[in-house]
Amino acid sequence: MNALSIVQTRAGDVCIVTLSGRIDSTNANDVKDELTRLISSGEKSILVDLGAVRYLTSAAFRALLVATHEADHQAANFALCSLGGQVRELFEMGGLLEVFAIHNSREEALKQLGGSVLRAP
Amino acid sequence: MTRPPDLIYAVNEDPPWPILVVSALQHIGLMAITLIFPIVLAREANLAGTQFLDLVSLSMLGLGVANICFSARSRFIGSGYLCGAAYTAIFLGPSLFALQQGGLALVFGMTVVAGLVQVAFAPLLRRLRALLPSEIAGLVIAVVGLTLAGLGVRYGLGIDAQQQKINPDYVIVAGISLATMTVLNIWSKGYGKMFCVLIGMLVGYAVSAVLGIFDLARIVPEGGLSVVRFPRFEHVGWSFDPVLVAPFAVASLAATLRAMGDVSNAQRINDADWVRPNFGSLAGAVSANGVAVMFCGLVGSSGLNTYSSSIGLSGATGVTSRSIGYAIGFGFCLLAFIPPTAVALAAMPLPVMGAALFFTAAFVFTSGLQMITARMLDARKTLVIGFSFAMAVVADLYHDALMEVPIVLQPIFGNSLVLGTVCAVVLNLILRIGVRQRVSIKLAPGGINREAVEQFLSAQGARWAARRDVIHRAIFGVVQVLEVVGEPRGGVEVEASFDEFNLDVQMRYVGLPVTIPERKPTPREIVASEDGERLLAGYLLRQSADRITAREAGGSVEMTLHYDH
Repeated sequence: MNALSIVQTRAGDVCIVTLSGRIDSTNANDVKDELTRLISSGEKSILVDLGAVRYLTSAAFRALLVATHEADHQAANFALCSLGGQVRELFEMGGLLEVFAIHNSREEALKQLGGSVLRAP
Repeated sequence: MTRPPDLIYAVNEDPPWPILVVSALQHIGLMAITLIFPIVLAREANLAGTQFLDLVSLSMLGLGVANICFSARSRFIGSGYLCGAAYTAIFLGPSLFALQQGGLALVFGMTVVAGLVQVAFAPLLRRLRALLPSEIAGLVIAVVGLTLAGLGVRYGLGIDAQQQKINPDYVIVAGISLATMTVLNIWSKGYGKMFCVLIGMLVGYAVSAVLGIFDLARIVPEGGLSVVRFPRFEHVGWSFDPVLVAPFAVASLAATLRAMGDVSNAQRINDADWVRPNFGSLAGAVSANGVAVMFCGLVGSSGLNTYSSSIGLSGATGVTSRSIGYAIGFGFCLLAFIPPTAVALAAMPLPVMGAALFFTAAFVFTSGLQMITARMLDARKTLVIGFSFAMAVVADLYHDALMEVPIVLQPIFGNSLVLGTVCAVVLNLILRIGVRQRVSIKLAPGGINREAVEQFLSAQGARWAARRDVIHRAIFGVVQVLEVVGEPRGGVEVEASFDEFNLDVQMRYVGLPVTIPERKPTPREIVASEDGERLLAGYLLRQSADRITAREAGGSVEMTLHYDH
C-alpha cells in the first residue's frame, strides 16, 4: 500500500494520528494541514504513529517540523512513535532523532503522555 | 557495529581475570591440537629426544607470537578481533615436499618465503576484493569445517591410514568427551557453557588415562624433564629453492583466503548488523599471518594460519573479547619454556583431539554456510560455489588419483582446501565477464510516476540479487531527487548499473542540479521556507548515498548517486 492514509483515534487525552503509506511532496501538505488543524483546535497531546509508513522524504520531515513548531507555540505535547527500520534510518541520516520527541512504541508514548493504551484500528 | 545481545563478553569488553585465564586455557587446549602438524614434520625428519622437544617448544612460541599478532589492533598488523592462530594442513603438503628435497633447513627457509608472500598480499586485498567476495570466504570456511569434521572423526574413531578399523576405546573416550561438550553447550549457562570444550577435553583426558590411552610415562625423555628450559636451535637452519616458491605461494594464497574468511566470521559474530567485511581488519590479519609465518620459519617450525575452530569456539561460548587473544599469546610464550606442558599437550590423546575438532567443526561449517547464503545467489555465483565445493570434496575422495598430476600442481590438487579455493577464485574471475549490467527508464513529463521508479528499481534489485537495504537507499535517493527537480521539461531519464560491488544510478534532466549542502540545515531553516526543505533534501541525499556527483552542460544535468555494495 503506497497511498497515504491518515487515521485518528483517541486514548484518554491523547489524540493519536496513525499515518501509513508513503509521505512525499505530493501529500506532505495533507499531513501538515491535518496536524496543524488539530493543534489549532486545542488538542494538548498529539501522538503521530509512523509504524506503517513505508518511507518519507524531506517534504514529510518539513511537515512534521512545522507541526512541532506549531505545538511549541500552543504549549501542546507533540510526539512520534514506532519508527520502523528505513524510516528510523532516514531520521538518523538527517540528524533529526534529537529534534523530535520519539518513543519506541505507542504504549511507551502513551505512558509518557498520560493517555491509556489503545490499539490502532 | 551493533553488539549482538547473545554475547557474554564482546570484542572490546574485558572479562574478569578468572574468566580471562580459563577462557585462554580453553583456546590453548584447542589450539594445541594443531601442534600435530609440526610434530608430523619432526617425526618425518626423524627428530628425537631434546631436538624433538625443542621443535615442539619453539612451535608453541610461534603460536604465542601469532596469537598476539592476530589479535592486535594497529594500523598495519592485527585483525583487532579474538582471532586464534594454529598450525595448519595447508602448509603441511609443501613442507613435506621441501623436507624430501632439502631437509628441515629448506622447510624453514621456504616457510619464511611463504610469510613474505602473505605480507605482500595484505596491502592488495582491497584492490583484489572483486576477486575475493565474501561468499568465497564463506566457502573456504565451510570447507575448513568439513575438513575439521573429517579429521575429528578419524581421530575420534582411532582410524589410521594403514588400518581402516575403529578402535572401541577411542570411541568411548571421544563419545564421552563430545557428549560432555554438547550437553554443557546446550543445556548449561554461565561457566558451563563458556568452558564446555575445556571441560569436555579434561573429561576426555581422565577417561583416556583410565583406559590406558594417555600414558605420560611413555613420552617423557629418558633423562627426565626440567620444569623450566630454554629451547635450543640445534635443528634450525635455512635454505631456499626457487622451484618450491610456487607451492608455498599457493599455500600462502589459501592461508590468506582462510584468514579473510575467519576474520570476516569474527567480525560477523561481533556485529549484529554485519553486511560486508572490513578490509582494514582483514589486511591487518593477513599481514599478521605473514609476519607470524616468517617468525615460525625463523625459529624452526612450520607455517600457521588463523584458526576457524577458535573463532567457532568464541561464537559458541559468547566470549569474544580481544584481551583473551593476548592472554592466549602470552600463555603460549610462557608454556614454551615449561617442557612438561609441551609434553602434555604434544601427547594429547587422539580421541580427545577428535571430539574437540568435531564439536567446533559444527560451528565453523554453519558459519561458512551463513556467509554464503547471506547473499542471494544468482546462477553465476551458484556455479562458482557449487563447483568449487564439489571439487574440494572430490580432492579428498579421489586423493590418490589426483596426485598423478605434475609435481608443480600437486600442492593444489592434493589438498581439498587449496583445490576448492583455487577453483573458486579462478571460476569467479572467469564468470565475472559481463557481470556489470545497465538498465534505464524514461519518465515522461507531466505527472512523473514515482511508484514506477520504485517498482523499476525493486524489480532490478531482485534480478541482480542486490542487497535489499542498498536498493531501498537508491529508491529513496531517486525519489528525493525527483521531488526537488519537480517536473523538468523533457522528463527524467533514470539509468541504473550494477556489479557485485557498485550500484550507480544516473539521472538526466534539463534544469538545475540539486544543491548538496556541506552542513545539516537547522530545524528553523527547514521550517522557515521551502529552500530549507531543499537543503534538507540535499543533505539527506549526501548522507544516504556513498558518493554523489552532479555534472551540468548546456542546461542539462546528470546526477550520479553511487552506492557501495
